Amino acid sequence: MNAVLAILVAAEGEPHRDDNGQVVTHHWLFPEQAELIYGTLASLIIFALLWKFAGPTVVKAFNGRTERVQTELDSAQRALDEATSDAERIRNAKGDIDAERGRLFSEADAQAEALLSDGRARLDAEAAELESRAAAELVASAARVGDELRLEIGRIVQASTDQVVTASLDAAADQALIEAFIQRVGASS
Amino acid sequence: MSNARIEGYARALFEVARAEGTLDEVEDELFRFARSYESNDVLREALSNDQLPAERRQAIVEDLLGGKATPTTTQLISMVAGSGRGHDLPAIVDSLVERASSAKQLEVAQVRTAVALTDDQQHRLKAALENATGKSLNLKAIVDPSVVGGVVATVGDTVIDDTVRTRIDQLKSRL
Repeated sequence: MNAVLAILVAAEGEPHRDDNGQVVTHHWLFPEQAELIYGTLASLIIFALLWKFAGPTVVKAFNGRTERVQTELDSAQRALDEATSDAERIRNAKGDIDAERGRLFSEADAQAEALLSDGRARLDAEAAELESRAAAELVASAARVGDELRLEIGRIVQASTDQVVTASLDAAADQALIEAFIQRVGASS
Repeated sequence: MSNARIEGYARALFEVARAEGTLDEVEDELFRFARSYESNDVLREALSNDQLPAERRQAIVEDLLGGKATPTTTQLISMVAGSGRGHDLPAIVDSLVERASSAKQLEVAQVRTAVALTDDQQHRLKAALENATGKSLNLKAIVDPSVVGGVVATVGDTVIDDTVRTRIDQLKSRL
């Protein structure tokens, strides 16, 4: 490092000085000529070294990256294909589900309608049966009440008949009945 | 009791009464006693009660009939009651009456009334029934208050019923 510094100092020569003895460059923008040469050479050497030693690694890295990117692209493509396929399958499944749902809904509607219809018919039949049974019971009840009333009247009349008839029969009536019997039997030959 | 035994008792009573020469009177007394026996629960219970000694049953008969019926009638009924056949007395007497009537070529006519018939009524009724049936009859009049009024006459299988009881029953059945 000291050697290089010494070379640079030797190449530079004596620096320019202004009137006041201050060191100045020959141009405010461009470097000194020697510096330009050495700098260019050094840059070339550096580039050459870089090209020789770092270039394959960089190329390899770029190739690897390219390959990795390609792999990732392929993977992404496959994922895209799979996603597309899945989406298609899901759409198909969704279509099936919709159809199944529609079928289930229609079946449920049909069953509900059938149940409703059966229920209405059964209710109508039960209502008619109840109505007829109630009418029959009403008639039977009326007949039963009538029978009971007739029976009660009959009982009362029966209970009173003996007393009334017995009380109304006196000796004269008895004799009249006997005489009437004798005459009727005698006349029936 | 079997019919044969009833007939046996009836035949025995009949022969005794006929042998005594009081068949008509005994038959009539037996008939009336049998009807009383049928209608009187106490009498029926007393004479058909096997728990009572035979002597006791016979004493009841003699107490009831002594002096009111012929000795033959009293003895015959006492004999039936003492032999433990009191409950068959009506059937035995009825059979005896049938037998006595048959012996006289007559058929028994049972007449039930609520009040007793006079002799004239019995004669006229007998004549009317003979006229109606064409048979000679042995009229047996029975006072039966259950008929209420009117007359029911039974000649063999023929029944002529004109009683108030029957009319009341018909009225009740219609009601």
